Amino acid sequence: MIVRHGMLLVVALTVGASAGWAQAKPDFSGTWRLSGTTPPNYPGSAGWGVPSPTVSIKQSPTEITIQSGQYGATPMSVVYKLDGSDTIWDAPSVTQSGTTATVKWRTKARWDGSKLILFTWNTALNQMRDVMTFNSGTLTIARGTEQPGPSTNATLTYSKAQ
Amino acid sequence: MRRRSLSIAAWLVVLSGFLVLAPRASLQQRNGEPTFAKGGAGEITGQYEVPDPNWPQWAHPYPKPGYIWGSQGGVFAESADRIYLANRGELKLPDKVPNNFPGNWGFFNQMAATQPIANMVNCIVVVDRNGKLIEAWNQWDKLFDWGRGPHQVYISPYDPQRFVWVVDDMRHVIYRFTHDGKQLVQTLGMLDEFGENDDLTRFRRPTMIDWLPDGTFFVADGYGNTRVVKFDKTGKALLKWGTRGTGPGQFNTPHGIAVGGSPPRVFVSDRGNRRIQVFDTDGKFIEEWPGIAPHSLLMSADEHVWAVDSLTDRIVKFDLSGHVEYSFGQFGTRPGYTWAMHQISADSEGNLYLSEVFGGRTQKYHPKPGADPTKLVWGRSLMPMAAGRTN
Repeated sequence: MIVRHGMLLVVALTVGASAGWAQAKPDFSGTWRLSGTTPPNYPGSAGWGVPSPTVSIKQSPTEITIQSGQYGATPMSVVYKLDGSDTIWDAPSVTQSGTTATVKWRTKARWDGSKLILFTWNTALNQMRDVMTFNSGTLTIARGTEQPGPSTNATLTYSKAQ
Repeated sequence: MRRRSLSIAAWLVVLSGFLVLAPRASLQQRNGEPTFAKGGAGEITGQYEVPDPNWPQWAHPYPKPGYIWGSQGGVFAESADRIYLANRGELKLPDKVPNNFPGNWGFFNQMAATQPIANMVNCIVVVDRNGKLIEAWNQWDKLFDWGRGPHQVYISPYDPQRFVWVVDDMRHVIYRFTHDGKQLVQTLGMLDEFGENDDLTRFRRPTMIDWLPDGTFFVADGYGNTRVVKFDKTGKALLKWGTRGTGPGQFNTPHGIAVGGSPPRVFVSDRGNRRIQVFDTDGKFIEEWPGIAPHSLLMSADEHVWAVDSLTDRIVKFDLSGHVEYSFGQFGTRPGYTWAMHQISADSEGNLYLSEVFGGRTQKYHPKPGADPTKLVWGRSLMPMAAGRTN
């Protein structure tokens, strides 16, 4: 009897913990306005990774879509699948020579607890990793970017647009 | 009169003391850029012949019609008959090229070979002394998609199995292949995921490796991080040192590394800070050699550090105390000149190999008749291959 109750308790705790884990995933959906950048003179190149004044996010259980100017010279809408798989497509990007060319793009995403980690690459040698967290109405993005020169880091904070 | 003589004598003492106490006096600054006292600016190829522009045969006139070999990240001469080339993909040529086009990107004298989008094929090839293709490791080309191709290539001089190590900075990993390239036996770091300076499981844009005789190795890491990581022979990270900055033991783009001397020391090209820093094998700072910003270092068989300088396009020979013994080289795209030397290698016959990331070629330099052997780069002898491994 004690054993049976104990097993039920374990099952209940496991289910509860799983549900809690699932519920702990934040929903980043909304339109966000840039409120701060550290360092302020973020050295993005050709627009790559440079903080966008506004970011629009749509999130479903399977994917997150980000519309932003952070991907280069012109704003883009970029999809990240939340199951860790790759999304690959062709689109223009500013190359290292400063010209614009159609290149391959690739994204993927994964959860790390309540943090969402987004990866973006393109064959114009641009890479970006965003670690997104949500706390007290503030979206924080810890951004690392790679281009052929030295790497860069920045912390961006966004508040919900009214 | 006597007083004046004493004054002159005093100045001479001071002056001679300055010369003795200025251990890096051979690295001189002129207009903010270093000049090297030994080896005149006219010594473009030093004790070497002007390289054959058609070496390697593999790349000339083209690896395939319409494409040329691109930015050359690295070169490693296992012997005079087995040279590994680390090619950051191939570049598409314009529809029309001049009849005298020599087959390398630098000829155009426009953008660096790193700037066009490369076709990631023939990333690791092996050629013989004539540059004839021996092996093309095309089965691994896919590893370099989404990056910029191999950064550098090496074999540890102390490894009887002669595993081949390839650094991929943009994808944050280091690969170890069997000697024949058929198997990838180890990947250090996490593909496509970078870690920060305190993370011993991931790199951020690693650049170069060198070894101790017991297999312990050191990784310069790199473009993103600002540290050196020490590994045991199995690839287990033991310790790290370095932070971002300009002080002793701090780095800004540690891009080259060489290990040697007795007791062994670790020489790190702190490229962004324009210096070489010297450490013991546990990361204790010993000294710095200012005024040079090498892309790469090489510990030679005669225990000297050869540095390929990104500031002057000179190849500089240091003794292990930081004194410049010789230098040669000059920027350019004609044969014998260089544009951004990225890895230096030499075989036991005295041939020198220099890969150029911007010029988009690797040149092989053969010693001149009667060349001064102290002014040639001598590659470290590799341990004989273990039985059963013959290629």
